[in-house]
Amino acid sequence: MRARTDNRMAKKIYDVIVIGTGAGGGMAIKTLCDAGLKVCALNAGRKLQPDKDFRYHRMPWDMKFRGLDDPKRRKQSFGYMDNEYTKAAWDHEIPFTVAPGTKWMWPRCNAVGGKTNFWGRSSARFGDIDLRAASVDGYDVDWPVSYEEISPFYTRVEKMIGVASTVQNRPSNPDGSYLPPFNFRCLDWILQAGCNKVGVPYLPDRCAQLTQPHEGHPACHYCGECTTGCDVGAFFSTPYFLLPKAEATKNLELRTDALAKNVLVDEDGHASGVAYIDRKTKQEVEVYGHAVVVAASCIESSRIMLNSKSRYWPNGIANSSGQLGRNLCDHLYGESARGYLPQLLGQPSFPDHVADSTIAWMPRWQNLKSPHEEKFIRGYSVYPDGGCTEFPWFANDVDGFGSSFKREIKRRYPAPVSFGIQAPSLRSDKNFVDLDPEVKDPYGIPVARMHFEWDENVLKMWEHSKEVCAEVLRAAGGVVEGTGEAPEIPGWSLHETGTCRMGNDPKTFVTDRFGRTHDVTNLYLCDASVFLSCTDKTTTISILAFTLRTSEYLIDNFRTGEHQAG
Amino acid sequence: MAGQGVQRREVLRILGTAAAAATFPGFSKWGFACGHIGKAGLQIKAAVYRPQFFTPSEYAVVERLAEIIIPSDSTSGAKEAGVAEFIDFMVASDPEAQYPLRTGITWLNEHSQRTWGKRFAELAPDQQISLLDPLGFKDKGRPGEEDGRKFFKLFREYTVMGFYTSEIGYKELDNPALKLYSASPECPHKDDPEHLHLPPPKS
Repeated sequence: MRARTDNRMAKKIYDVIVIGTGAGGGMAIKTLCDAGLKVCALNAGRKLQPDKDFRYHRMPWDMKFRGLDDPKRRKQSFGYMDNEYTKAAWDHEIPFTVAPGTKWMWPRCNAVGGKTNFWGRSSARFGDIDLRAASVDGYDVDWPVSYEEISPFYTRVEKMIGVASTVQNRPSNPDGSYLPPFNFRCLDWILQAGCNKVGVPYLPDRCAQLTQPHEGHPACHYCGECTTGCDVGAFFSTPYFLLPKAEATKNLELRTDALAKNVLVDEDGHASGVAYIDRKTKQEVEVYGHAVVVAASCIESSRIMLNSKSRYWPNGIANSSGQLGRNLCDHLYGESARGYLPQLLGQPSFPDHVADSTIAWMPRWQNLKSPHEEKFIRGYSVYPDGGCTEFPWFANDVDGFGSSFKREIKRRYPAPVSFGIQAPSLRSDKNFVDLDPEVKDPYGIPVARMHFEWDENVLKMWEHSKEVCAEVLRAAGGVVEGTGEAPEIPGWSLHETGTCRMGNDPKTFVTDRFGRTHDVTNLYLCDASVFLSCTDKTTTISILAFTLRTSEYLIDNFRTGEHQAG
Repeated sequence: MAGQGVQRREVLRILGTAAAAATFPGFSKWGFACGHIGKAGLQIKAAVYRPQFFTPSEYAVVERLAEIIIPSDSTSGAKEAGVAEFIDFMVASDPEAQYPLRTGITWLNEHSQRTWGKRFAELAPDQQISLLDPLGFKDKGRPGEEDGRKFFKLFREYTVMGFYTSEIGYKELDNPALKLYSASPECPHKDDPEHLHLPPPKS
């Protein structure tokens, strides 16, 4: 054991300080509390009160701006999720900056539960095709964890959260344990027939939305408003699924409106706690622990660690490799094709919009036999969507005005379809986050500065997807009306990964293969910052699986006495 | 210190709107059910709508255009749905939209004056349609009317937004949003996966 000063002994010392309560923080908190460790969790925002803060089950005409939000606020909002239904949940106080030439959109929900309150719920496992991709195509490096090793953690996570899907035997996607899938809608059967003709898969997505009661949580009522929060907790979020369990152990102290500023270090350079700003009193507060888990989401985690400068860590804590903040990856999103299905023109309306775009997917089909079948390496997935949605978004494609215009909108209402791409950027030295040397947030803390551009490989995927999705739509008997002119700007997907990557070599990786920093043996990372690549899959279920593993490793380190328990 | 001035101006601008919204007397066609103004659940409904942004003569054009774009025919249209009120309210809260819409209405009035010697609102319905056809239909476009087309496109977007987010617009489409189900809704034609043999649509 390290020696501690008398001064330190007088202070309350928790076993673990956890920064963040989203997918990573929530899973870490629950796992650590279950093991009997005393946890102090810091959350940058407040606790949401679903009755007040979630405006679900509201018709647009019951909203002042029809759910579109005040035009003025909309212009400074973060796009599609930050709207009149959930506006209180998104953080607008803490700015970030972008380097010249970089565009970045960064919707941050700092409320308790983070982005799990409103996530997209698609939950595919990573496989060796992702974790060992470098061995196959020679780009970058493999993950230090094999599928065999992480697979049991996925199984346990699926049991905890409930994922609706089917066993699909796809080489790109390991199967798991699933609840019954969503039923296919008319448009799914039609598009699947088109995909079969083209030779592209069209299958039920892996959706963490409960198609039957699961582990004490009720089944979904299919209102279709998941991205504005759920009133009954019928899809996974940490406030419904994990934090109540942690609170029940009485081992958790959750501090809200606690904006983490930096990790504190002791005289040996080990983590001794966290300094945070109490946003209500504007005072800086210190809280102490025998170990610290940073789980603030990859950019915010990097910002906190880069701001943790000390005699030991002049360039940010655990940054002897110089890799902290580097290797940022993101999913390219965009509309690869859109159009309509003439078969459905004029048909009765159908409730197509009960799970947003997570009913069906076109899981990666490229570069499966060999890594260089296509003009790009790796692969992407596509989420098809359409049918009767809340708003006839296709109306701008309809010509004219008057009764013919009105009739045509009604006729087209059941028929529109669109295809959204999810494609991984490749690791690049050009993409990283650092601290802005001048700009500080209202509490005087230097803000994150983004450096990002899409790489050639991911842009080739984008072009490829436009061709294939148009082909699928035509093969399904559909009419193609256009493709996205450009992908969404980076950050849109909310799937940023990297910046604290895990690996065995302390010279090139921030954390070891368990998510513990190489430099500071009682400092752990539990979010997508440890991921080596962003793959064609979404991040949340993998954050949960890797965090479960990291948390149990941390618990072992308390049991063996490497960390001191209180 | 760069940016601070802009930020402060922005704050003042928002505060200005908040004050305006607080005194907003309400729409005539519908009330809010969720208490954005004053007490929760308070229903505000004005007998006559008082435009927040447009002048009375501009507002007459707004009303007429919305009615022409989504007319009341065999089903209710923009008029019954109060679309003009919605457009005025949105634009009153949106300085960036004010300029193009106001100049667009001015363009339309001048264009009407040149063609028929009268302002748009004073024209007979078929005269109004004859001016709008080249602006709204792709194959009827005329050179020199690009500004008018741009304005009409923007105005049509506002009309569509206002109509199809209204209760009447939901009825028009038989919009199934926000209904609750005990199982995920399933395609009723599974024996015809390509949907090539569906009953013909009712006209």
